[in-house]
Amino acid sequence: MIDAHAMLGDETYLRLDAADLLRRMDAAGVDLAVARPMGAGMIVDHRAGNDLVLKAGPRIRGLASVNPWWGAKALDELARCRDLGAVGLFLDPARQGFFPTEPVATPVFERAAEYGWPVLMKTGAYIYADILALAEVARAFPRTTFIAGFGGYADMWFELPMAIRSAPNLLLDASMIWGAGIREIVDRHGPERVLFGSAEPRNRYKVVLKTIDRLELDEAARRAILHDNAARVFKIEGGRP
Amino acid sequence: MKILDFHAHLDDRWLHKPIPDASHMIAAMDRFGVGQTCVYTMMGFYADTPRNNDLLLERCRRYPDRLIPFVTVDPKEGPAAVDELERCLEFPEFRGIKFHPWLQAFASSMLEETMTAILKVAARTDTPVLLHDGTPPYSTTFQVADLARWVPGAKVFLGHAGSADYVDPAARLIRDIPNLYGCYCGSRPGDLAHLVETAGADKITFGSDFDPGSWELLAERLDNTIEAGLSPEDLEAVLWRNAERILRPSGS
Ligand SMILES: [Zn+2]
Repeated sequence: MIDAHAMLGDETYLRLDAADLLRRMDAAGVDLAVARPMGAGMIVDHRAGNDLVLKAGPRIRGLASVNPWWGAKALDELARCRDLGAVGLFLDPARQGFFPTEPVATPVFERAAEYGWPVLMKTGAYIYADILALAEVARAFPRTTFIAGFGGYADMWFELPMAIRSAPNLLLDASMIWGAGIREIVDRHGPERVLFGSAEPRNRYKVVLKTIDRLELDEAARRAILHDNAARVFKIEGGRP
Repeated sequence: MKILDFHAHLDDRWLHKPIPDASHMIAAMDRFGVGQTCVYTMMGFYADTPRNNDLLLERCRRYPDRLIPFVTVDPKEGPAAVDELERCLEFPEFRGIKFHPWLQAFASSMLEETMTAILKVAARTDTPVLLHDGTPPYSTTFQVADLARWVPGAKVFLGHAGSADYVDPAARLIRDIPNLYGCYCGSRPGDLAHLVETAGADKITFGSDFDPGSWELLAERLDNTIEAGLSPEDLEAVLWRNAERILRPSGS
């Protein structure tokens, strides 16, 4: 199994380091986790945050994060992260303070496209994190894969199906959304549009895996969500399905 | 362990989508060991509030030991809303009051006089008032928390304990305002641990937000509770003890 969305660092009341994440992965039978920084390491101190996820060992792959307002410095940091083996870009527009559609963010998306990276973006709170803003960007960069982090949880859940419908390169991170919301995307748009994610340490492997179990998916769909989609999107090998 | 679910919905439809009858809710409760569930309307938030209060009461009377109805009123109606509240509280079955300012289209600050009168009735009758929170611009966690300050004798609940994006403010507000409580609905284990650690287990109650057509939601929300790593005493407090203490005494 590959976890497509774990978080390392320290943010408000959430805290997780690589050793603890590995323990949780082992307990849940998760082979690989894709992690992104949280807190200061994601919002302002990129070098520290990115190092945390990029140097966490072979079973944890990192998503680089930069605040687009840093301009050229942000692009330099992305280059550094690519050399360290980053498998994609993570953005949290609400906490980093930008609209996904405003020009300041464009060079960062262009750089992700150049590197062939998928972009995981946290969606949820209305203003900067509107899932429909992410859909706009996904349509503007049709060759880049975008992932709706947290699936618009909580109160933009009703926009999720149309957003997914509007952009074939937009996928759902199932780490925070309820089972019925996941089922709707699988039924309407296919299991290849959904990624298993844990949102550890906010959510728990056990909770998400039980939610997916209750969907009673056929073996191919289950395998796609728990492993194959992440292996394809992040271009990573390993992780028994 | 005994379980009392403080937040669920019972109605025959939500917008165009039909909802199965209460027997499906009872079946889900039986399956997951939930003894009693507090239920609120869905369509009564949009229109015909008094009629929907009557319908909810009627549905709950089929299962008097299992379902506890909460009344809602439309505060945009002014004094008529207070009268409707008094009418419904004549029925001992109604043991709580629910508002959904987002769906009911009001900011409490626009209706200060009516909301204050409603909260005073709640205080007088020892009836908890639960409001949806976590959603701008009518139901932010800060907006709901302020109501508790207006009438300190009323017990006010954040209906989602901060929901997705206001968990930390919710925890601090519940800690700091004596008559403010949190019903977590959808909070994840990491969120719940923070709420209990900051605000104390005695002010937090379990809610599922499920309806008779969505038993999975009840299962998911119980999983969130179990995985939060609470002590046995705290778990008991959030799963039923607090709710039982705070609900309007039955028969009053
Ligand atoms: Zn609800």
